[in-house]
Amino acid sequence: MGDACERVPHGFGTGPARPRAGTIPTRTRTVRGMSTRSGTRVPFYRNVKTLGLLAQLVFAAVVVAAAAIVYHNVSSALARSHIPADFSFLRVRAGIPIAETPIPYTPADSYARAFLIGVLNTLKVALVGVLLASVLGVVIGVMRLSANWLLRQLANLYVETIRNTPLAVQIVFWYTAILTPLPPRILSAVRWPGGVLVSNQGVALPWLYPSPAFASWLPYLGVAAVLGSAAFVVRRRQLRRADRPGNALGPALLVALALAAIGYLLSGTTPLPRGTATSFRQVSGIATVFVDANGDGKVDDGERRLAFTPVVVRVAKGVLTTQTQDLSESRRIDYGRFRFPPLRQGEYAKATVVFADPARAAGLSIAYLHQPYQGIVYRDANGNGRFDPGEELSSSGATKRGYAVGLRLTVEGFRRRLVTDRGGLARIPRFTTGAAQASTTGGGGANMSPAQLFAAPAQAPAAGEPPALDARFVLPAPRPVVVSRPTIPISTYFGGITLSSNYLALLLGLVIYTASFIAEIVRGGIQAVPGGQREAAKALGLSDLQTFRLVVFPQALRIILPPMISQYLNLTKNSSLAPLAAYVELFAITTIIASQTGASVPVTIMLIASYIVISLVFAFVLNLVNARLALVER
Amino acid sequence: MPPLREPPKRRRGALVWLRTNLFSSWGNALASLLSMGVLLYLGGELLLWVLTQAHWGPVWANLRLFAVYRYPPELLWRPFAASAVVLLLLGATAGAGRRSGESIAGGVFWWFFGLSALLTLVGLVAWPVARWGWLAVGVAGLLGYLAGRVEPRLARALPWSWGASLVIVVVLLNGFGTGGALRSVSTKEWGGFMLTLVLSIVGIAISFPLGIALALGRRSKLPIIRVVCVGFIEVVRGAPLIMWLFIASLMVPLVLDVSPSAVGPLSRAMVAVTLFSAAYMAENVRGGLQAVPKGQYEAAQALGLSGWQRTRLIVLPQALRAVIPAIVGQAIALFKDTSLVFIVGLFDFFNVGNIVANQSASLLVPGGVRLELSLFLAVVYWFFAYRMSAASRQLERRLGVGER
Repeated sequence: MGDACERVPHGFGTGPARPRAGTIPTRTRTVRGMSTRSGTRVPFYRNVKTLGLLAQLVFAAVVVAAAAIVYHNVSSALARSHIPADFSFLRVRAGIPIAETPIPYTPADSYARAFLIGVLNTLKVALVGVLLASVLGVVIGVMRLSANWLLRQLANLYVETIRNTPLAVQIVFWYTAILTPLPPRILSAVRWPGGVLVSNQGVALPWLYPSPAFASWLPYLGVAAVLGSAAFVVRRRQLRRADRPGNALGPALLVALALAAIGYLLSGTTPLPRGTATSFRQVSGIATVFVDANGDGKVDDGERRLAFTPVVVRVAKGVLTTQTQDLSESRRIDYGRFRFPPLRQGEYAKATVVFADPARAAGLSIAYLHQPYQGIVYRDANGNGRFDPGEELSSSGATKRGYAVGLRLTVEGFRRRLVTDRGGLARIPRFTTGAAQASTTGGGGANMSPAQLFAAPAQAPAAGEPPALDARFVLPAPRPVVVSRPTIPISTYFGGITLSSNYLALLLGLVIYTASFIAEIVRGGIQAVPGGQREAAKALGLSDLQTFRLVVFPQALRIILPPMISQYLNLTKNSSLAPLAAYVELFAITTIIASQTGASVPVTIMLIASYIVISLVFAFVLNLVNARLALVER
Repeated sequence: MPPLREPPKRRRGALVWLRTNLFSSWGNALASLLSMGVLLYLGGELLLWVLTQAHWGPVWANLRLFAVYRYPPELLWRPFAASAVVLLLLGATAGAGRRSGESIAGGVFWWFFGLSALLTLVGLVAWPVARWGWLAVGVAGLLGYLAGRVEPRLARALPWSWGASLVIVVVLLNGFGTGGALRSVSTKEWGGFMLTLVLSIVGIAISFPLGIALALGRRSKLPIIRVVCVGFIEVVRGAPLIMWLFIASLMVPLVLDVSPSAVGPLSRAMVAVTLFSAAYMAENVRGGLQAVPKGQYEAAQALGLSGWQRTRLIVLPQALRAVIPAIVGQAIALFKDTSLVFIVGLFDFFNVGNIVANQSASLLVPGGVRLELSLFLAVVYWFFAYRMSAASRQLERRLGVGER
């Protein structure tokens, strides 16, 4: 305003300039924060702020209207078709058989528990997958930058091939084309050094489990943990005070491990609880180790079963029976094979195989593939006393020149050391005494499953119970941790830990696919470290390996980690392709629940919520890592 | 006089190359020998197996299923006609762009032309139904190329033609009416690689503008729009595509309040695939928008451009150019992810492969020819994806991404 101008003294930056003599004064007015020379107001329909407000209102109205329509449609559709709209179905009995259960589960449990199993199985594959994919990805990424031309091209080939093929195709490849047809069947499982068994059911490894004596080791573990953390804190303070670089974790871990080992040796073996007994069912070959509270020798409800307890089984003399079969592997048919459950060299004193019905088996001979439990029955056509291909006895198939014959394996001095499973059960082959057992017939032995072949006869002999087998069970006092080795009592793995072929196929597919992306990220990160760093390191005299380890990789890590973590999230989300490998995890179990209950809306909410929680967890970790590793700018 | 020195060692030649690249140190030499041995052994075994022991019979016998699955055989001229239209336009684009040197459309066109030539040969040998079809497609492509070369002014009509071709292809495949050669073929009967291409192309075409809109909305200053866009993008990106497909197959009939059989599986899959791809596209475009310097916005304002003009003429071209690799990568990922529509009950190329594998058990191969079929699926997908990524690299080079 003109008046205010005159009161203000003339000078630098002291308000609006006083109009100089001879100029035409202009009047200024402000309208809603905008000043115009001519003094017109901007109409509201061209004002940016009102327009923005209007746009938002319209947008919000559209969104709300759409949501209301959707809600109305969904509720009327739900009301009309009587499908469940709330979460009460979760308490209903599931009836879904699941093969891999990290926690105890039966089909009589609820849908909620089945869902929990799905979540745990997803974690199982995601955590292991992330670890393996990182290792493989870093290796391939570094290989891409190798000075060796061949290694570089191999890594290139790997990345280009894997990245351009859909993950679904890769998982189906691993499951249906590699892991199911190529490894041998369970009864012909391959034994690798270390006690690892490989078959088309998966891989079984020896594993450590806590025995009932574990509680005696716990105090020592507690002491180890406490002293280990104390060592960590002390060492870190030492390093800080001396201002030296170094890792405080190493000494702390050493201390903790040493104390734990000493504690393990000190706790020795602990006797089992009083009244521990074994109840053996010969028909099924299952022995239950339990605490017999009322001393009746039978497993009653409420009597505690002892899980992961070592037990030594001795059978003085037992008989197994089977028939020859024509086994179709993936690319061929093996005729005239007989297979008993595998027996290892030291598990028996004497084992002999004879024909069950010598009259029928006149002129036939046995060629062993694995002494004594697997072999071929053949008719020596050319009289050379050996098995030549083409001489097998086949009961079906193209040759149709034979019939199935029964065989008996008599095992004397059978001794096997087992560890009971999670439910306190130990399984051994279904031996019989062989006394009153006729060879199992059952029409056409061509392709009966091993379980059918080894089944006890449908009716017990007239005497009542089958003649009792002379089976003894010794329960040695266990140490805190026991090694459980895998065996094959009937037709599945028992003992150790089993990585099913479904799990392995999914894991292989995910790891190899994600590793190709991680390799590109690692390569980009290492290349992004300025070349001057390498030159400076060389000038300081560091070797190539030292340069990489001390200079390049720590700086590259900063660039690599955020996209790596989003690849980890991708791996976890991609684990939802598990139905292609018939592995039951979160997504697979939810599709089964949805198809069984028809509860579309709650299942949708459960699915979206689960994956959002997973994504949020990863985003949280990512932010932590970013904050921790971010370059501190000075 | 200074003593004479030896001439410098040879720096070129095969032996020198071997020494520097493969055998420069003991470790490298060992690694080279080991990997050469492993590569030769595995590669040789694989090649031998592929050529001699593998049973490719089920693959040859089922080529029609792999291509179009259950599309009525007597109406197969329609997919062929659609392919011919597309190759014609591709040829015209390639021919018209010939002048600007290395042409990306040229590379893609000749590659597809080569593919149709190969398929004609295959048709002569193993796929009698398709002989003339692929020949006609190849001829149409050549005609388009010649037209483009001879009459470059046609290039002006190309964008509209591409848009029209999308409509023509859908109309051809779908048909209308109940009788005659153009009778309608419900989308339940579409399948095979045709379905994979339809899903990918329509998905990319719709999700691209949708993704741009979402990205612009995410950067909007208006809070409600921004919150809704951010929420949508984060929720959709947080879950896998197979889950969204499954949810779409459950919820689309409920949301539209119709009986489940009224909405075909293709529509449900399209909804899920498009929205999923739009969310990822939005994130990529957002990265590009962040790369546009603020000075561009201010310069546009100084020139008096309105907001919409500024976005359309100044901001978006720069933003999109900066993220072309990411966008094409997303397109390739979408092409690969169409293999997941089996969960909705669609029989795309991957699902047909699984079906053929399951039914291929025979006396010769009791377990079924699963290895051959997996390899066949992988190779086909790989070729298309690799060609797309090669085209992307060419596009980057041509537009000078990362240079300016």
